[in-house]
Amino acid sequence: MNNHADVIIVGAGVIGCAAAYYLAKAGSSVIVLEGSDHIGNGGSSRNGGGVRQSGRDPRELPLAIYGIQTLWPTLSEELEVDCEYHQDGNLRLGKNEAHAKILTDLADRAIACGLDVRIIDGEEVRQMNPYLSQEVTVASWCPTDGHANPLTTTLGYYKMARRMGVRFLTGEKAVQLRTIRGKLRQVMTEQNVYEGDQVLLAAGLHSRALAGTVGIDIPMTTSLLEALVTEAQPHLFDQMLGTAEADFYGHQTKHGSFVFGGSSGLEPYNKDNGTPVTSSITAPCICRGIIKYFPDLKDAKIVRTWAGWSDKSADGVPVLGAVEEVPGLYLACAFTGHGFGISPAVGEQLAKLMLTGKTDVDLSPLHYDRFKAKI
Amino acid sequence: MGKINDRSRDIGEFIPKEGDERLVCRCEEITQGEIRQAVHDGMFTITEIRRYLRAGMGLCQGQTCSKLVKSIVARELKVSPAELEPATSRAPMRPIEMHIFAKEADDNE
Amino acid sequence: MKRYGLIVIGAGPSGLSAAIESAKRGVEVVVFDENARPGGQLFKQIHKFFGSKEHHAKIRGFHIGEELLKEAQEAGVQVVLNATVIGLYQDKEVVVRIGECVHHYKADAIIIATGASENMVTFDGWTKPGVIGAGAAQTMMNLHGIKPGERVLMLGSGNVGLVVSFQLMQSGCEVVALVDAAPKIGGYGVHAAKVARTGVPFYLSHTIVEAEGEEHVTGVTIAEVDERFRFIPGTEKHFDVDTICLAVGLSPMSQLLKMAGCDMEDNPKRGGQVPLCNERGETSLSGIFVAGDVSGIEEASSAMIEGRIAGISAACYLGYLSETERDAEQEKQEQALEGLRQGMFAPKNKGKTLTQTEEGIAISTNLLRHGYLTDEEVERYPGVTHRAGIHPIMECTQNIPCNPCQDACPKKCIKIGEKITSLPAVQEEATCIGCGLCVASCSGQAIFLVDETYKPGYASVTLPYEFLPLPKQGDKGIALNRKGEPCCAAEVVSVRTAAAFDHTSLLTIQVPADMAMKARFFRTEEAV
Repeated sequence: MNNHADVIIVGAGVIGCAAAYYLAKAGSSVIVLEGSDHIGNGGSSRNGGGVRQSGRDPRELPLAIYGIQTLWPTLSEELEVDCEYHQDGNLRLGKNEAHAKILTDLADRAIACGLDVRIIDGEEVRQMNPYLSQEVTVASWCPTDGHANPLTTTLGYYKMARRMGVRFLTGEKAVQLRTIRGKLRQVMTEQNVYEGDQVLLAAGLHSRALAGTVGIDIPMTTSLLEALVTEAQPHLFDQMLGTAEADFYGHQTKHGSFVFGGSSGLEPYNKDNGTPVTSSITAPCICRGIIKYFPDLKDAKIVRTWAGWSDKSADGVPVLGAVEEVPGLYLACAFTGHGFGISPAVGEQLAKLMLTGKTDVDLSPLHYDRFKAKI
Repeated sequence: MGKINDRSRDIGEFIPKEGDERLVCRCEEITQGEIRQAVHDGMFTITEIRRYLRAGMGLCQGQTCSKLVKSIVARELKVSPAELEPATSRAPMRPIEMHIFAKEADDNE
Repeated sequence: MKRYGLIVIGAGPSGLSAAIESAKRGVEVVVFDENARPGGQLFKQIHKFFGSKEHHAKIRGFHIGEELLKEAQEAGVQVVLNATVIGLYQDKEVVVRIGECVHHYKADAIIIATGASENMVTFDGWTKPGVIGAGAAQTMMNLHGIKPGERVLMLGSGNVGLVVSFQLMQSGCEVVALVDAAPKIGGYGVHAAKVARTGVPFYLSHTIVEAEGEEHVTGVTIAEVDERFRFIPGTEKHFDVDTICLAVGLSPMSQLLKMAGCDMEDNPKRGGQVPLCNERGETSLSGIFVAGDVSGIEEASSAMIEGRIAGISAACYLGYLSETERDAEQEKQEQALEGLRQGMFAPKNKGKTLTQTEEGIAISTNLLRHGYLTDEEVERYPGVTHRAGIHPIMECTQNIPCNPCQDACPKKCIKIGEKITSLPAVQEEATCIGCGLCVASCSGQAIFLVDETYKPGYASVTLPYEFLPLPKQGDKGIALNRKGEPCCAAEVVSVRTAAAFDHTSLLTIQVPADMAMKARFFRTEEAV
């Protein structure tokens, strides 16, 4: 078995798969190591499918805009899979004055970055989406936002990367990184050693422990998030939905089912049993939330609930780019629960960075070295 | 956690065969041919097949088709069906209306 | 949160048995079941069970269900019906849908006894209305009194396929063929024989090519398969049917255990995905137990014993009896279980091809291939003897753990002996009085009373009969042989029903003397 490649990627989530795809497309040889038994087994297959710009931190907003303008529109054709990308706008909903203030602040910030977002009242919201209840009194509206299917997108990147010769190994958990003569070259798993000129760490929460083996720390913590899906329903609306408090989000999929995520408020404290497991209280809580917004959905049947760990960064935005002090090491982690929408852009830009040392989007605000004490 | 699974290993070419048009997952209307093709696209686990095609993700949650899907995937990979881990079991065990799931009984306090 | 000592999920034979054993020892037990009726599959079983007295032998399944419910009630078990368990969460929290809301309960111990679901096979047209599971057919007939169809083809020759075929005929359906891709019949020979003698043809090494019909099944084509299960061209056979019944095995419904995080394995011998568990039913998670089909497909009698073992284990886990007491109790139950897991169909013999009985007698290849014994083959078994006057003929040729016939005979004409799987033998020195208790006691309907010297030129044959309308004395018709072919004219000379026979009527027919060892079923002239 040849364990050498130009690039070793740790983590076969949507980020690792996308980066592998763009690197292979440019001619690099790539090996992807995945610790679990499945491709895209972390947040990549457990998120709500939002492809949003609105509501994002200005530091990562340019990546979101770049992806929506240049990659998402043609992604299904490129990956020969239906990514179910819909660009039908995002409604971020509010019910009171405090929500209106949050929404206005977010919108102002986005507008300053050049994004088309505006605040609309309850009546206008219901003109766009007549199924929303009277409780909604205000919303922000971003017409260029949308949603996609995270499962087919992740596996589509994987399929195409694999087809182009990228070698994927699942059940191969990286345990240590190693520098050779001052350059990061090796990734060690329990039984094997893989070697490349560059190493991309895209292993979610596990990235912290791995980066630690070469003396780099990424301040992140975890949160166990939950979501659910209904049986297929008649078509109601195409927008992506969120809330001012970011405690509820969802959309109707092409299949007809509704995917909703939500919060019980106890997420940082939810326990697991070694795998991300749902708690008994969150799904009912999400259901109560949905019914308040969409009374018409009360009879829709829930067919499945699931949980996933989010890799929360200390300041709410990802850690991306080269680690200059460990030449050869690149990071793509700490996506904080909103990595899916920017994953094509991240994969493409990191591939470009690794190949040419340059990017189209400025990644410097997401540099690993940004975390400082507050005083 | 299973053993190392090399996704580039040779499983042969995809050759259409008799019965490929036949439905296997009735809820999501997925055919044998789609499942076989997905394996050749690299979906080597039942979980990936499910996520890629929705096979077993419908109302019955794979109660009817999971064994059938497993045997198709196993044959395509030339392994024993017992080697393939079934998809994760997730609540609710039976589909449940949102308003019922939302309503907690009084004796819960 | 409301907390129980023990929550049992599933009120079938194993769940109820488990609940009874725990409750008897003082545990506060609640049983949740998603169905409107308790008893699981037991209430669909209208046939008599095999086994020994302790295993409810010769009692019909639904009566066992009634006994179990009564026992549960007396033990103080609370059974909640229409209660759908939504999930088994961490810290042994059970979320149950009851009516229009969900309840959250905790328990110190949990026994999962969720049973199994039916397997399906695919063929062209398998999704058409009219293709149903054998279990579904049983539910329709035996719980709801609905005929699944008029003309039925059964796929699967295991006990389920055989028993349900017989029940379909009892409900008035015509079974046009019994088909199995395997080269030999999977279920008990006696179950096959009682179907074959009514005239149902068996097609082994055959399977379904296609279900035909536009909106609904109107026909089916089967064809022979080779040893690698590939169709042999030119062997197609067509039947006009409106129903295709699939009896192709069961899979454990183990999803709750997997959700809870129990260590699982895929074990084809147990029917699929099952929890790893020890002989006490303990899973890898402390305080979570399993019993019945969910931990491996067997039949109801084993499920009930497994349930009792799990119930005793849970009571011990909860401190209601000592480990010494538990081990003693378990020992008893295990002996009973061991008794059931004997003979040719024991789990350890699964997949093996046996050629001889325990007595060293060659097994009938015709029985395995076509569902009936030939006239020559039947003569080699110890239950078949010839003498003047009435005497039992026991066409019981496979070693099955079952012995009610031995106790049924007041004259001790029948001997099985200590070993419950032994073939019944006629005791030459004892004298048969023709009471027929043995005939009615045989769950396999394999015992006949024959009087080869009934009348000059005529013999009488007394056979078990479980169809309606019941023929009357004096009715004329034809006798069918073991293969189900008409073999001679016959006249009903007596029809006996008795409480002790438990709805198995004894039909005595008069046939030409040389037909004494051939005639095994009767059909009236109208029916012919």
